Amino acid sequence: MASTHDLTWKVAPHLDRHLVFPLLEFLQERQLYNDEEILKAKIELLSETNMVDYAMDIHKSLYHTDQVPQEMIDRRVEVVARLKSLEESAAPLISFLQNAALVQELRPDKQYNIQMLNERYQIGADQIEALYQYAKFQFECGNYSGAADYLYQYRALCTNPERSLSALWGKLAAEVLMQNWDIALEELNRLKEIIDSKNFASPLTQLQNRIWLMHWSLFIFFNHENGRNGIIDLFFHDRYLNAIQTNAHHLLRYLATAVVVNKRRRNVLKDLIKVIQQEQYCYKDPITEFLECLYVNYDFEGAQTKLCECEQVILNDPFLGKRVEEGNFVTVPLRDEFLENARLFIFETYCRIHQCIDISTLAEKMNMSYDEAERFIVNLVRSSKLDAKIDSVSGTLVMSTNHINVHEQIIESLKNLNMRTYMLAKNIVEPAQAAAQASAAAR
Amino acid sequence: MASRFWADTESEEEEEEITQSDDEGSEESATAPSGWVNKAKSYLKGAASDSDDSDTQGRTVKSTRERRNEEMLSTLEQIRNATKINDWVNIVDCFDKLNKQLEKVSRINDSNKVPTTYIKALVLLEDFLAETFANKEAKKKMSSSNAKALNSMKQKLKKNNKQYEELITNYRANPVDDEESESEDEEEPDMSDDGVDDVIEYPSDEDREKDGEDEDDEGERKGDWVKSQSKKDKQMDKQFMKDPSEITWEDVDKKFKDIIAARGKKGTGRVEQVEQLTFLTRVAKTPAQKLEILFSVISAQFDVNPSLLGHMPVGMWKRCVANMLLVLDTLNQYPNIVVDDTVDMDEKETIKGVDHKGPIRVWGNLVAFLERLDSEFFKSLQCTDPYTKDYIERLRDEPLFLVVAQNVQDYLERIGDFKSAAKVALRRIELVYYKPQEVYDAMCKLAEQNTGEEGDLEGEVQELSRGPPEFVKIPEIVPRKPTFPESSRDLMDVLVSLVYKYGDERTKARAMLCDIYHHAIFDEYPVARDLLLMSHLQDGIQLMDIASQILFNRAMAQLGLCAFRAGLINEAHGCLTELYQSGRVKELLAQGVSQSRYHEKTPEQEKLERRRQMPYHMHINLELLEATHLICAMLIEVPGMASPAYDRRKPVNKTFRRLLEISERQAFVGPPENVRDHVMAATRALTRGDYQKCFDTIAKLDTWKLLRNKDQVLDMLKTKIKEEALRTYLLTYSTCYESLSLDQLTSMFDLPEGRLHSLVSKMIMLEELHASWDQPTRCVVFHNVEQTRLHGLLFQMADKLSVLVESNERAYEASTGGTLEGLPRRRGENQETGVGGGPQGRWQENFVASQGRGRFGYSGRVSGTGGGYQKGTRGGFGSSRYQDAAQGGRVGGRTGSRGGQVDGAPRMVNLNRGIRA
Repeated sequence: MASTHDLTWKVAPHLDRHLVFPLLEFLQERQLYNDEEILKAKIELLSETNMVDYAMDIHKSLYHTDQVPQEMIDRRVEVVARLKSLEESAAPLISFLQNAALVQELRPDKQYNIQMLNERYQIGADQIEALYQYAKFQFECGNYSGAADYLYQYRALCTNPERSLSALWGKLAAEVLMQNWDIALEELNRLKEIIDSKNFASPLTQLQNRIWLMHWSLFIFFNHENGRNGIIDLFFHDRYLNAIQTNAHHLLRYLATAVVVNKRRRNVLKDLIKVIQQEQYCYKDPITEFLECLYVNYDFEGAQTKLCECEQVILNDPFLGKRVEEGNFVTVPLRDEFLENARLFIFETYCRIHQCIDISTLAEKMNMSYDEAERFIVNLVRSSKLDAKIDSVSGTLVMSTNHINVHEQIIESLKNLNMRTYMLAKNIVEPAQAAAQASAAAR
Repeated sequence: MASRFWADTESEEEEEEITQSDDEGSEESATAPSGWVNKAKSYLKGAASDSDDSDTQGRTVKSTRERRNEEMLSTLEQIRNATKINDWVNIVDCFDKLNKQLEKVSRINDSNKVPTTYIKALVLLEDFLAETFANKEAKKKMSSSNAKALNSMKQKLKKNNKQYEELITNYRANPVDDEESESEDEEEPDMSDDGVDDVIEYPSDEDREKDGEDEDDEGERKGDWVKSQSKKDKQMDKQFMKDPSEITWEDVDKKFKDIIAARGKKGTGRVEQVEQLTFLTRVAKTPAQKLEILFSVISAQFDVNPSLLGHMPVGMWKRCVANMLLVLDTLNQYPNIVVDDTVDMDEKETIKGVDHKGPIRVWGNLVAFLERLDSEFFKSLQCTDPYTKDYIERLRDEPLFLVVAQNVQDYLERIGDFKSAAKVALRRIELVYYKPQEVYDAMCKLAEQNTGEEGDLEGEVQELSRGPPEFVKIPEIVPRKPTFPESSRDLMDVLVSLVYKYGDERTKARAMLCDIYHHAIFDEYPVARDLLLMSHLQDGIQLMDIASQILFNRAMAQLGLCAFRAGLINEAHGCLTELYQSGRVKELLAQGVSQSRYHEKTPEQEKLERRRQMPYHMHINLELLEATHLICAMLIEVPGMASPAYDRRKPVNKTFRRLLEISERQAFVGPPENVRDHVMAATRALTRGDYQKCFDTIAKLDTWKLLRNKDQVLDMLKTKIKEEALRTYLLTYSTCYESLSLDQLTSMFDLPEGRLHSLVSKMIMLEELHASWDQPTRCVVFHNVEQTRLHGLLFQMADKLSVLVESNERAYEASTGGTLEGLPRRRGENQETGVGGGPQGRWQENFVASQGRGRFGYSGRVSGTGGGYQKGTRGGFGSSRYQDAAQGGRVGGRTGSRGGQVDGAPRMVNLNRGIRA
């Protein structure tokens, strides 16, 4: 089943309701589940939001009727009424904020702003609070850009750190939903700072916040151009890694994918494998198993089969399987990159433990034809990434084994000692000299 | 006075003699008897023979004990004399002598009861000291040596008296005559034949007062007791045999107060008090009063055995349980009664009857009673010989306790006192956690059957309290049978989560350890491991009480066994090795006392240790544990020993290496007998790469039958042995081969091809083996990397140098507090360049490195789940063990591991073996 490795149900509880929509859309598109199921899930999701109209549409298409249940209609009326009242209460502040000239008067000092607003425009704490409520309501209604704006302004005026935090979450969600990745990334970093520095009532809430943050960040990292470094940086942060290991093992998939895809961050691979091994009893999927096969068991056949499964997993994952349409082609860039890198991994490891390889087996192992494989190898050899020669008569690749000379090895291990000792000496002598000079000067 | 000079410098014996002569010579006031004894003694010293002794004494046969006592008395007399003339130098000498004599006396009496003579002397000295210090003028007049002695005496006495504080206060409260103290000391059975003493002593009043101290005098005076008691009984009966309706609350209260007041006083028998109180419960007028009296009954029952070592009689314990249930019944019947032990109660509180609305407060502490009940049960198991029927009989009482505990917990939860409920839950956990499912099922069954027995018990209770029918009748409300969930896991989960929620730090830690232990028994290694690492128990366990440390050790041992059963050799080894490092496993697990050759334990230490012992049914089988540990060590060490000299690793398990050395030193090797022999024989086979023989030897061990999934474990073991045999073989003989085909290897070691390929590949990757595969021909080609001895030594030197640099840097950091800037990161990171696939610092390696003995622990699993445990990034199986501070063991252990750290550092390079799956 294609849906066996689907993580949506694991990811969703850590996301905002609105953030689940894109995932459901994706699933609908991939036809992993029944349309009906997904539509039902959507209505379920919408029931708590204010997007009643949308829910009505879905309801209609689900049951193929024009009838809409009474409760939905009631809800709609209620929502509209509430919107009105909120609009009214927030109106003074909003009109103030919409006037660019007036906004100029605001200063970075919050206390001043509040006082100023209160004195000159009779805008008090109640109105500011109303702004927050209004923004939240807008968000619930699906008006993300409005919500984002209001929340931004609210944050400038708000003095309550708790509120400010939740406003930030709201802003992040809105930006993600509007696909403003750059701004979203900024918000994410801001949020991360607050979470890390804030004193939470219990470590548990902090942990929960971190897990949320990581889940939300998936949207950004797999869309933002620099996201692949970002995800590695964030997830490999000690505390976040711990959070993953504690309560969100499934995030390992995304981390693993990011590491495989990222050519420049190969150094974290070892850490990743350790984590994967440690958590294998509670989480495994083809991607982690692929790494395990390759780097723990050196089981190349296993890695090969897992790689095929990986492809499916990536295609079916809402975060990883993003499609890019170029002309008539629909490509999934991440899949291609993943496969390419994975192949390289296999090849590298394979070459490291062999001195002579049959090219045809190699081709088979990498899912390539003989010629393709040969070209691949030749390219590698030419770019001097591989120290080997092809014996085309017997169709083998012969590695040139080079052992580090013992002499060199010893030199290597002693090389930096010199530097370190020098640094140490310098560190000790310098302050002493400085002190001596100082005392001399004093005299 | 030359003698004085001598007294200070000469050896003990001379000193004694000289002071004695000093006594006689310089002080005329020395009394005749003491002088006589002294003479006899000095003579004895000179002749050093027993027969002579009796000659001088005019053929009065005296036991050593008496003689010692007399000696002591005479010393006391000396002190008394010296005080009279204010001769402090002499007093100091005498005091030393007295202490020496005390040692002798207690050795003979083989009890730690301190003779009254001694206490008397202490009191005398104390008084005199105080007096002297009060008298400043006299002090000024003193000679310098005398003043010095005075001061030193003051110090000594202060130090010394601390241990006898209680006895001294007792003595001060009621001073005893000499003769009496004599006979009191000699109350041991073998002395009972000197009837004269008995006659003198028996009726004496003061003696009764000492009731509180001696335990075995009960029988001696039985006759007297019974008489007086029956008299009392009659009185009471007379008073209460009246029509029950005529008895008023005041009557009962008065009588109750009387009895309570008599508690601990002379002439009160503990058992009798219990009986009297039980009688009173029947005539109590109000439920509250009844409850009040019941509490007193229970505490009186606990009082029956005042000794710390002994336990409550079993019958009494059962009655106590019944009383507890009665209390709970009452509390359930009358929910307005509140049990409290914090506030002072109103005198007349209990007069409020059934119809009283609003809370009635009664003094009492259910949790304390329950805990006492539990510890009495525990003690009784400790004291019983596990191979007797008694032990099993006693074990059958466990459900009985569980009923009470369950009911108390229910009650506490109902009244919302979750803190106390957590305490009770812990007690229940501690009775359940070590039980595998089979035992648990058996216990449930037993609990089902137990009803009949309990009926008997009830009858007994009825019989005991003959008399008028109960005034306040309490129906049995609380269930008399414990209810158990199907699996012990469910029970544990419920209890443990309660404790995590409401317990205090210690309770939580203990519950956590029990939880870990329980998970380990049920083969849930990952869960147990995560619990251990998340809770950070290893970090703080040294600071906890010894009982908890023992529990920790037990949990570690069980975790090790669990890891072994799951085939996680390295993990198992990590858990167990520290337990075996000291060679005091028994002590660490509190499963017996291990004798140390080098130092004797004092009786106090031994007694303490005995009190910590686990009852037999909770033991972890030591043979199995040892087998597991040694086999793990073998699997890890043998390939390590086989690797070529130039990159030989530091022994991971020194204990194992030592054992191996010992066994290799033997000229003739007999057939294996014990666990150790078996493993050593297996090791020899494994070193040769002979996996079959190795496995056969190990499979012969008896202990495997203790495993539930024996076959599985042995299969696992066989595979592991094959794998390690392969590795050993390759490492040992790689220099002799140019190439080896895969098929040949598979047939040699009977391993599946894939597995073999993966094993060899891993060795190649980790550069343990200098070889590579030749794919077309399917064989391993060995590259001969010749390394001369010089090379090897150079590598060692390089290692040592880097350690040196590192320690320099560390010293710098320590002294300045800052890190060295501009330096490459040390440790894990920079080593990586040295060795392909080398360690990379954050996870295991760092930890292993810092520990230096390659406990392939897992570290750094952290989190904040569970009961909101702290986060952080430390971990690893730092099994700590309890060590008696008195024995200085801890200090040794600490410095040992320090050394290990430094030693371990150069080995970083090779640590990557630890990562092997």
